[in-house]
Amino acid sequence: MLTQGKFGAYGGIYVPETLMPALEELESAFLRSSKDPNFLREFRDLLENYAGRPTPLYHAKNLSKAWGGKIFLKREDLLHGGAHKTNNALGQGLLAKAMGKTRIIAETGAGQHGVACAMTGALLGLKTEIYMGEVDIARQQPNVYRMKLMGAQVHPVTTGSRTLKDAINEALRDWITNLQDTHYLLGTAAGPHPFPTLVKFFQQVIGDEAREQIMALRGSLPEYVVACVGGGSNAIGIFSAFLNDQSVQLIGVEPGGHGLNSGKHGAVLSKGTPGCLHGMKSRVLQTMDGQIEEAHSIAAGLDYPSVGPEHAYLQEIGRAKYESADDQEALAAFQELSCSEGIIPALESAHALAFVKRLCAGASSSPNVLINLSGRGDKDLAEVMKHVQTL
Amino acid sequence: MSRRYEERFKQLGKLGKKAFIPFTLLGWPNREESLKMIKEMIECEASALELGIAFSDPVADGPVIQKAAYETIASGFSVHDAFELITEVRKLDGSIPIGILVYFNTVLAKGIGSFFSLAKESGVDGILIADLPAENAQEVLPAAETNGIDLIFLVSPVTTPNRLDIILSRASGFLYLVSRLGVTGTMERSTAKDLELRALVDKIRKRSRVPVCAGFGISSQADAERMFEIGVDGVITGSRVIQLAQSSSSCSSGVLKQYFKEMVGASARSNRYEHCDS
Repeated sequence: MLTQGKFGAYGGIYVPETLMPALEELESAFLRSSKDPNFLREFRDLLENYAGRPTPLYHAKNLSKAWGGKIFLKREDLLHGGAHKTNNALGQGLLAKAMGKTRIIAETGAGQHGVACAMTGALLGLKTEIYMGEVDIARQQPNVYRMKLMGAQVHPVTTGSRTLKDAINEALRDWITNLQDTHYLLGTAAGPHPFPTLVKFFQQVIGDEAREQIMALRGSLPEYVVACVGGGSNAIGIFSAFLNDQSVQLIGVEPGGHGLNSGKHGAVLSKGTPGCLHGMKSRVLQTMDGQIEEAHSIAAGLDYPSVGPEHAYLQEIGRAKYESADDQEALAAFQELSCSEGIIPALESAHALAFVKRLCAGASSSPNVLINLSGRGDKDLAEVMKHVQTL
Repeated sequence: MSRRYEERFKQLGKLGKKAFIPFTLLGWPNREESLKMIKEMIECEASALELGIAFSDPVADGPVIQKAAYETIASGFSVHDAFELITEVRKLDGSIPIGILVYFNTVLAKGIGSFFSLAKESGVDGILIADLPAENAQEVLPAAETNGIDLIFLVSPVTTPNRLDIILSRASGFLYLVSRLGVTGTMERSTAKDLELRALVDKIRKRSRVPVCAGFGISSQADAERMFEIGVDGVITGSRVIQLAQSSSSCSSGVLKQYFKEMVGASARSNRYEHCDS
């Protein structure tokens, strides 16, 4: 490899030997393409004319009034596909083409990344196969149908906890077997190098746009930038533009599940310890013996027992803080945004909203907050209906 | 470094034999049966042992070993229990090389230094960390050297020449040749692909004296014979061992014994594959 992909003690490459050539090939394609004006032009063209960028920055006045802050939403929920995942899928889809691959595989939790890959596969003429945990398939039926509609094959994963973690294992096993014609289109800023770096590269458009938009709208930077964190791709995407703005507090919100002391959560940065999973060193939820524990969240997309290595690093150096919101808080915020603004957020994004509600309640003067509204909530209706019977 | 691998391969070479290295997962299906199965391997004159410590997310393993790992962890069998079991095995045979196959997180969770010293105390000769590429071997090299443990590395058909050099510069004990792309398991092999491997084995031979043993999808005498034909020094079988144990009522039943004997037999007959130049 030409680069190390280390973020302090985190990141790196920890994979079986068979995968090394695929990662070397990917690294060299990425280094080449990320400087190639033709590649970048094609990527930008797809983002604008296919996916609908730039997404708006919206001043949520009703919510601001209700919670007592100045709340701005970066509307990734309006991106084609319904979430920020499209940015990365299109970028990596083009990379796969550049490498001459004919097949893409991917893991998905909530199904948003699977949908983004199915779209990309259909658009670019790449055979697409998606690994999805059986548990997630049950709670995200509409997304499974969307993937199939766009020609992707969906493989149910029946091993382990049958969620996102196991879907990643299966995708890695497929890649080990088929690396010659296949690109593994990893959906989050995690996994072995170069994935955390290249996923950030394709997602930083969120932060770049949002920073420009808020400066144009208000003439000053926000005090807080808040995003939910599962693997951490939407968060690193929006944080990236503000990393050098020391006045801006970056806050990632992890899933508190049933509560941080319940043993059923996905708050890896609050409760995890350093370890090695899915090809990277990061923080993980694990037993004393290093067995990976199951994460829990009402939001399938946050249900991951590790986190992107750059977040572990940003936490360690104190540049970003990581808080959590539990299932109930997320459900409440889901409803409040829907009622107050007519915007139904993804349950994942509702975790970021829930934290901001707490932040506003505890602040002496109304804080300026930029929230990455990473996805829309249509996919979550069945899950929410199980928990909220009466409206 | 451990002398046991070196001595065992030297000894086999003198007799014109190849190595048969069976694999099983420590503690599967339970402690007692696991010990019986390993005892059987030793009694059938396996050349060395490859013993796995169960990990929750074994990305290099196919469904058979995944399931066995899942069951082992669910039964409460710990890493500590695994080392205790190895201690027992070492008492049964003082000279057989014992290798363990682990994932890096299992090592990190104990701490690299403690893990290697526990391994040494229990009688382990070699450690293969399935998800630690040779580039990152420096993270464990000092602990391996301090404890006299061989670091076993994987080489695959797609390993590039410059990476092969890195691997060969760090490998000891033996080299584990991933004999086909994919995860562990017993699916059909392609004869054409197997023969392509000969070039890789020749390339390794030119650059290193470390013995080469082939694994991944080697399950029958015929598979083993084809591997010997392309010049490897031994074969490793894992998923097949576990499948046979699953299908028989007890791990010490005749089925496994029969299988080990067949594979040992195939390895002993291998002198007909010796090349004129060797």
